[in-house]
Amino acid sequence: MNKRSVAASIVLLATVAFALAPIFRGAVEIPIPVHHVLHAMMIAGAALAGILFAGSLERERRAGAPWLIVAMFAPVFAMLLMWPSEYSYFETHPYGHVAEHLGLMFLGFIAGYAGQRYANGIGWAAGIGIVAMAVLGVWGYGVAPKAMAPAPATMPSTASAAIAPPNVAHGATLFAQNCAACHGATGAGGAGPSLRNERVRKGLAAAEAWIENPAAPMPKLYPGTLSAQDVADVAGYVETLR
Amino acid sequence: MWTYIGTGLAIFTLMMLAGILLRAAQAGWIPVDPGTFYSILSLHGVGMIVAMAIAGLGTLWYLVRREMELDERIAYIAYGFFVAGVISVIVSVIPGRYGSLWTMLYPLPFVGTYWPAWATGAWLIGNALVMLGFMLWCAQILGALLAKYGGVRGMLAIDYVFANRAFTQAGRKPPPPAMFAAAITAFDGFITGTVGLVIGTALLVHLIDPTVAIDPLWAKNLTYLFGHSIANLTMYMAVAGVYVGLPLCTKRAYHTSPQLAVAWWATLVFVIIAYFHHLYMDFAQMQWMQFVGEIASYLAAVPVVVVTVYGGVMLAHRSGMRWSLGAMFLYGGMIGWVVGGVGAVIDATIPANVDLHNTLWVPAHFHTYLLEGVLLFTLGWAFVNIEQRAGAVSNLMMRWLVGLGMFGGGALFVFSFYIAGAAGVPRRYAVEPVPGPLWAGVATAGAIVFALGFALCVFEAIRLMRLPKGEVAV
Repeated sequence: MNKRSVAASIVLLATVAFALAPIFRGAVEIPIPVHHVLHAMMIAGAALAGILFAGSLERERRAGAPWLIVAMFAPVFAMLLMWPSEYSYFETHPYGHVAEHLGLMFLGFIAGYAGQRYANGIGWAAGIGIVAMAVLGVWGYGVAPKAMAPAPATMPSTASAAIAPPNVAHGATLFAQNCAACHGATGAGGAGPSLRNERVRKGLAAAEAWIENPAAPMPKLYPGTLSAQDVADVAGYVETLR
Repeated sequence: MWTYIGTGLAIFTLMMLAGILLRAAQAGWIPVDPGTFYSILSLHGVGMIVAMAIAGLGTLWYLVRREMELDERIAYIAYGFFVAGVISVIVSVIPGRYGSLWTMLYPLPFVGTYWPAWATGAWLIGNALVMLGFMLWCAQILGALLAKYGGVRGMLAIDYVFANRAFTQAGRKPPPPAMFAAAITAFDGFITGTVGLVIGTALLVHLIDPTVAIDPLWAKNLTYLFGHSIANLTMYMAVAGVYVGLPLCTKRAYHTSPQLAVAWWATLVFVIIAYFHHLYMDFAQMQWMQFVGEIASYLAAVPVVVVTVYGGVMLAHRSGMRWSLGAMFLYGGMIGWVVGGVGAVIDATIPANVDLHNTLWVPAHFHTYLLEGVLLFTLGWAFVNIEQRAGAVSNLMMRWLVGLGMFGGGALFVFSFYIAGAAGVPRRYAVEPVPGPLWAGVATAGAIVFALGFALCVFEAIRLMRLPKGEVAV
């Protein structure tokens, strides 16, 4: 083994150890932006190892076209694997979570290794690209916008101007009548997605806006079945789901 | 090269007809319901960018291959991705009736839509396939350039600029001008493609799993970083043809100079962040980004335009150049680049942007840029090659007719956009307020004249290509 192979092995082993953390830590809630950063670190380690491994081999550039295709596809699969849903199997089961990490590492390694096998420098470009994707996700992939300043008084509102603060108990009743069939009695999910920890993804205003104007297949119950106050109450209840 | 240029021009022709239909509908000449209008507008917008990009990539690939070895298989694989992407986009728009444009503002494609969710998915997948093809292409060119010039320093001629005397005394030569265009396209194209895939994949994930939140400001930043940059890169691809085509017309060499290298460095850095001018009116955007956006918008465009156009004019000055269609298109393209660039710089200036950005001024500048810049450069490069091969040029009458059609009709077309924009007519509306319909009518007339000129130009190209191979160079 030459020096580059040894360095690559050390980097790869350190990154694998980092990726195994969920087994020891269990299911701990980590904010999605932090999660993206941790993923970026794992991918960076694996990509660096891939570049070093490729550098330790002799390259034949003419035979490299398939390597380039693999290097370009790896980042897309990594983005899909970074699916920032807290309730996916990958995130809620420690071993699934580790499998996800190893998948990301594999793709990072492939991007760096295959890119560098194709041409000197392309491994770096592909590696930086795949890490940048994870880092870019910090500001918006699975991340709801921060609470904004209240709208000016002159701005028209879809709901009535005089809405009391959410009545969570009433919201729970409405939830059981209108939402539980799809989202489960406890909000854990069913035909529809889980709403646990929805507050992480949507603030109260965003949740209200969603209920008022949902995307298919969720039914639009406002205005009609639900009044503006009902919407506020259901959204308030959903925000309490853990 | 011809597969790419031919495909690009074929897509352009179809999109031009779609564009004429849109302007005629806005003028009230043809009834088109708003849903159909927005679907066609979506197709027209992305189709034109893809058409110009494919034609530009063909030009650039050929020019890079003259200097170094490239793998033809990758060019064909990338082409396959483009074709698959275009088919997916067409499926999303025609049976699917997708109508949210290619620079859509989240959550627009997901809320209150009149088209099915699968159409949005097909649209996103189609764009992702095009981006994958583009990134493959960029990575191949980047790899070849890095290998040929010994890394980034050589590729960007850094030693040539900072240690010019030692560089020259060592007998080294900087990359030719067209290779700067290739390097900037490949480098920034790779970044642009990466960003495009981030936002595309995120939106696709959101489509499948609506619980995955997306920050709208983040989405807008990435959408415009991707969209604005790739639209600009189409110009830089086409400019490569100018650096090689003009010397063939004028019989003078277009040399690399330190000024040219520095101008391309400015484009390399600033074209990626120039898009900030699309977000001046987003109050949530950080303020420093707005100021950086204004400066970046100037620096991305002005230096490279000034250096290239000055060099181009100096080449022609007293060269005894024959004004063939190829030369006309290359120089006409420079005028379009300058006029469209000035329109862009005005829009990028914050006080003007507030009044102009949501009006037809913006389509005015990018139509000038694409139609009277990128397209003319592409046609110019193609015609210079065809004329060289045939050893003949078009007759005077044909040059006048094509010139009147494509420059006269084109000018009428784009200036009606500028005037309507300055009058405050909003963009992206199926039905425009007064005086929009009046200027839409003028634009339609201009576009029809342009299309006739373009048709003549295509017939003339076919005629020249069918001539026996000439021995006399143009």
